[in-house]
Amino acid sequence: MLSIQHLSKKFGDLQALDDISFDVVPGEITGLIGQNGAGKSTTFHSILNFLDYEGQIRWHGQPVDETVFDTIGYLPEERSLMPKLTIEQQIVYLARLKDKKAKDIRPQIDPWLKRFEVKGQKSDKIKSLSKGNKQKVQLICTMIHNPKLLILDEPFSGLDPVNMDILKQAILGAKDQGAAIIFSSHDMANVESVCDNLVMLRNGQAILNGTLDDVRNQFGKNQIHVTGPWSVQELADLPHVTKVLTPRPRQFVLHLDDPGAGPAIFETLTQGKYIEAFVQQAPTLDEIFRMEVGAGHE
Amino acid sequence: MNKLWIVTAETYLRQVKTWSFLILILSPFIFFGISAGAGYFAGSSTAGQDKIAVISQQQPLRQQVIRQNKGDVNQKIITQKAAEKAVKAEDLAGYLILSQSGQRVKAVYHSTRNMDDTLKKQVQASLSQYQQALNLNEAKLTPQQTQALQQQPIFQQQLKEKQKDDSLAKLLSFWIMAFLAYMILTTYASITAQEIASEKGTKIMEIIFSSTTARKYFFGKILGVLLVILTQIGIYLGGGVLCYLLAQRLTFSREFLADNHTLISAVLHNLVNINLLYLLLGVVLFTVLSAFSGALVAKAEDASKAATPAVYLNMIAFFSTFPFQGNTHSIVVTILSYVPFFSSYFMPFRMINYTVSPVEITISLLILVVTIIGSAAYIGSIYEGLMLQTDDSSFFKRFKRGLSYRKQRS
Repeated sequence: MLSIQHLSKKFGDLQALDDISFDVVPGEITGLIGQNGAGKSTTFHSILNFLDYEGQIRWHGQPVDETVFDTIGYLPEERSLMPKLTIEQQIVYLARLKDKKAKDIRPQIDPWLKRFEVKGQKSDKIKSLSKGNKQKVQLICTMIHNPKLLILDEPFSGLDPVNMDILKQAILGAKDQGAAIIFSSHDMANVESVCDNLVMLRNGQAILNGTLDDVRNQFGKNQIHVTGPWSVQELADLPHVTKVLTPRPRQFVLHLDDPGAGPAIFETLTQGKYIEAFVQQAPTLDEIFRMEVGAGHE
Repeated sequence: MNKLWIVTAETYLRQVKTWSFLILILSPFIFFGISAGAGYFAGSSTAGQDKIAVISQQQPLRQQVIRQNKGDVNQKIITQKAAEKAVKAEDLAGYLILSQSGQRVKAVYHSTRNMDDTLKKQVQASLSQYQQALNLNEAKLTPQQTQALQQQPIFQQQLKEKQKDDSLAKLLSFWIMAFLAYMILTTYASITAQEIASEKGTKIMEIIFSSTTARKYFFGKILGVLLVILTQIGIYLGGGVLCYLLAQRLTFSREFLADNHTLISAVLHNLVNINLLYLLLGVVLFTVLSAFSGALVAKAEDASKAATPAVYLNMIAFFSTFPFQGNTHSIVVTILSYVPFFSSYFMPFRMINYTVSPVEITISLLILVVTIIGSAAYIGSIYEGLMLQTDDSSFFKRFKRGLSYRKQRS
């Protein structure tokens, strides 16, 4: 387990991280979300011991140093490989630095290239690859040595939906093999679709921390999504409704000041008859993110 | 394999597999080959032009001249007509027509230019001998008289042991050593600095530093470049031996080597001794400095500027030997022979020109080695901070930040 306790980091006068504590458990995926500059990359750099910091970071009770480097797979935020090497040379070189033997890695390269649908041959130079293919090769470099701790900084950035799905499957595969995974993302839909746990950072502070359901339920089931022939005014006049949004024609989102008002609104809207949709739920992660980040700006 | 050696091997292979390295290695041999080839062809094409023909009805007379000047006579030409044709075609320097009128030998040389002085003396000596034999025969002397006439004066040389003059050997040794050091240091300072600077601030460094320590990576890089340098020096030494063996077989260079055997031995003796160690240690120190300056550039795009500090320091050290060529006992020379970066030029300079005590050499070497170890260890300790920082401030700010960076591990 990766344990982060009371992690703080200052850059001059700037408090980049302020008393952050959370765990990343083997076989689970933790999403680290926050605005640009919230402290996500600084957290990763602290985990990897690139920076001096206050607090304690332990991997299975040990400090993160050279003795555990071989069990870590790290994907930095911006992609970067050695342009003059071939795909095979690059993958083998980085795998050897993770204490893997070249003869063990080479047979795995083709299956990984196929799995990630990389266009080209393993003898192709890195510099000849498209941006998307470079990104996939970098992901292979991060994962081919079967790391026990995966640290992925914005892994989905720049990927199209098809490739995003390929990556999600790879991350879920690593989870099934028992890896502890932490990744950052701006895309809340991705976080919601793969994460078990969530840490939201704002100005270096962890403002939300827990399982995905716990975090969402903290905000109460104060939204009702309905589809039907009502007008906005009709819905706005309902008791405990504070706001009505219309994302699409005939589709409405009612914001409540009391989640307990849901059954009464259901009765009022249906009157015992069929309606196309009625769902009462907590805010989406995206909405929570906007709310929390917005609160930080107020 | 230890990660240090993985980085070393990767750095080494990446450098030696480039076209620029191949060209760097081959260029002196190509230059030598072209020079040798040109010399050979020039030599073989003009060889015939330096010879002469000897034409005579009196075969004993002709044979007397030919016997004593075999290397300079084209014996195939026996008629005046053939000789004239050969001279016209510039295949022959000229031809000598020998005749005997009564008891007198006559020689007429036909050519467009004067006969070579050495050959002229040899030909005259041959003719004199022949003439003398004719004269003695004509005089009808008794054996005693003949013997009396053959008495020669006694000429002896009483030579004192010559003062050993090896100033040329010293001068040559120093310049070869200095130029070798200067060229290697300049070339590899650029290669090292660019190798390091091209990775500056790139995310590949984050991946690598999550796999091995920055110190191991730094040492691996330095060792990789040093292996490239050793490869080059090794190829040059091997190639040099081959060229020397080849030169001994080629006519035009064989004489030069034989004539200058003492000088060449003295120069080689001056080069292949502790001076070579100074050269190697100097290369190591400048490589470490180059790596440091490479790590101090603002971003990878500035890699071409990275070598400037190391190249300038090398130039200063090299050129500062110039004013002391005639004043090798200067106190400045003595002091600089202990100062790292300068000692690689000044201590060999002292050793070539006069005897330096083993104590002085040991102290100088110790200072150099301690500086190398100390600077490599220090730069290794701040390397991670230098490579990961992407501060785009001025060079001096980055330098200061680099120097003050001390990572405190929790």
